[in-house]
Amino acid sequence: MAVLQASRKRPATVESLEPVVYVRPAVTLDALSMAAYTQVCAGTPDQGVPLLYPQMLTFPLAMAYFASSYCPWPAMGTVHLANHVRQHTPIHAGDVLRVEMQTGQLLAHDKGQVFNLEFRVLKDDQLVWEATQTLLRLGVKNPVGPDYASALNNDHPLSLQSSFVADGGIGRRYGRISGDLNPIHLSALSARIFGFRRAIAHGMWTQARALSAMLPRHAIAQAQVHVEFKTPLFLPARPTLWTTRAIEGDLSHNALFEARNAKGDKPHLRASLSYNLA
Amino acid sequence: MTQAPPAIRRVAILGGNRIPFARSNTVYANASNHDMMTATLQGLVDRFNLHGERLGEVVGGAVMKHARDFNLIRESVLSTTLAPETPAFDIQQACGTGLEAAMLVANKIALGHIECGIAGGVDTTSDAPMGLNEALRKILLQVSRAKTSVQRLAALSQFRPQMLVKPALPRNGEPRTGYAMGEHCELMAQEWDIAREDQDALALQSHQNLARAFKDGFFTDLMTPYKGVTQDNNLRADLSLEKLRSLRPCFDKKVRPEQGTLTPGNSTPLTDGASAVLLASEAWAAAHQLPVLAYLTFSEVAAVDFFDKKEGLLMAPAYAVPRMLARAQLSLQDFDFYEIHEAFAAQVLCTLKSWEDPIFCLNKLGLAQPLGAIDKSKLNVNGSSLAAGHPFAATGGRIVATLAKMLAQKGSGRGLISICAAGGQGVVAILER
Repeated sequence: MAVLQASRKRPATVESLEPVVYVRPAVTLDALSMAAYTQVCAGTPDQGVPLLYPQMLTFPLAMAYFASSYCPWPAMGTVHLANHVRQHTPIHAGDVLRVEMQTGQLLAHDKGQVFNLEFRVLKDDQLVWEATQTLLRLGVKNPVGPDYASALNNDHPLSLQSSFVADGGIGRRYGRISGDLNPIHLSALSARIFGFRRAIAHGMWTQARALSAMLPRHAIAQAQVHVEFKTPLFLPARPTLWTTRAIEGDLSHNALFEARNAKGDKPHLRASLSYNLA
Repeated sequence: MTQAPPAIRRVAILGGNRIPFARSNTVYANASNHDMMTATLQGLVDRFNLHGERLGEVVGGAVMKHARDFNLIRESVLSTTLAPETPAFDIQQACGTGLEAAMLVANKIALGHIECGIAGGVDTTSDAPMGLNEALRKILLQVSRAKTSVQRLAALSQFRPQMLVKPALPRNGEPRTGYAMGEHCELMAQEWDIAREDQDALALQSHQNLARAFKDGFFTDLMTPYKGVTQDNNLRADLSLEKLRSLRPCFDKKVRPEQGTLTPGNSTPLTDGASAVLLASEAWAAAHQLPVLAYLTFSEVAAVDFFDKKEGLLMAPAYAVPRMLARAQLSLQDFDFYEIHEAFAAQVLCTLKSWEDPIFCLNKLGLAQPLGAIDKSKLNVNGSSLAAGHPFAATGGRIVATLAKMLAQKGSGRGLISICAAGGQGVVAILER
């Protein structure tokens, strides 16, 4: 509700974001919620706590920020451009975690203002997981900050690894477990109000679904995944997963992947993945 | 005791013949094992002018055999212009059939039992043997055993209409595990961490090498046309990496869901075809004024426990080769050519990787040092099964004839043959000149 009321804010140029920190001091990793998430993202229990799952814990913080006066823009109409996740040590169901969000850098983009939200997850004061969510506020004239640059190119040829199903209801199911009930994901009718001809999948779901096929069927230790979202995934669809592991990287296993349309010629997202086995 | 047996003699390979291989259910869809084997043998007879000759023995087989293929090779010999006094028999060792047939003929020549022989093989998966529904079959046998009408009627009353539409089909898979060969190989690719790109690259190389060999006329004196076909029709001379990358993994569902690497492009297709090789003693070759291409000097067989010990189904040649090298007192690098049958690109790469792995070589092969790497530029230089296709029992003959000619063209040298087979077996051999 607060988020909808905040839609009354208008896109405006700002010099910088007010440095604020939002905290959830003690969140217990709930096994049932993780199981529901794992099922919606087609993971398997032997993969442990899903790599992107902690970002679910940050969502209430991000929404509180968007609803507040600290954030110059409303949540509606903000595009999720990119996401960078770093897992430092594995976590387990039952762990009590401290979840923090703070505002980050501003970057200039052709279509508006890019801004980062920085997430940190700590266990017993030790940083176990962190992420940078890169968002684009469309329509802001004269955005400030250094130019936004994509970190991933498409120089590396990828091979078709698998395909998966994004059914018509996946936006509703993922919306329920993530809390992100943006109408553009929920149904064709609600999506049309906001200019999309059909509902589109949450980028974070598409990424998680792809990671279920990219990650080994057992726990990993350190990992990082950087994703850049490209074309919208209109539901229902049968996206294809294209990959290569013939690349250098920071950790022992490295891969590039793209979730593309059924034909395989247009990317929905492009990502790089690195991990060490446990 | 009767007269002492003669000294062991060298076994000469004089040449071979095959028909072009065809993807199943294409041009050879209606060709029987008998017809293809006969055409292949006759082509060999024509090339070496063996009309009316009584050969020592003809040995061969087919993996996909009909009940009517009883005495397949003998019946094929009788349909050629070889003297009908030429004996023949059938063997079967899955994909190892062709090379094993060559070993059997060679051993008889070496021991002086025969002077010359032909080793071959044929297979068709188009003209597949289908049996009656098993329950119906048993009923019909009961009827034929019955002595009274009452007994016959009692048997027939067990018939159910659905028995007519559920025939017994040849099973695609290892009887013991229920997995298809491709699924076993996908597990091997996972165990040995063989990348998709490397598999596709090997497949491309096979096609490019085979295309070049055809263009150079390499197969002119190794092949006779059949049913209007002059070239292996699985060959894609214009195959590209981009095309291979776009193929979907096909053996992932049961064993490695969504994470497969084996595709129809880097796996051999089901194929129809036949091949045959002419082997003889040097004396027989000289008497017939036929030049020797190469000598079959060593052979070895191995089998792995892919069921309890979970060794890779197609890893048997990895065990056979070092045993043979030890007997021959050679190292893995002492070869000018390597002919490794490509059941799947991943299987070739697993085998090569295992020979470079100190832990595998120590624990599984009992070797203090790994066998080491081979020079990949010497591998399947005129293409192999991924491009030519693989009629199971015909591949041995294809490889032996190809390698013998390569050694003859080079003038001297040594070649290694390695062939894996269903049931966890492997046959390997050395050809020299």
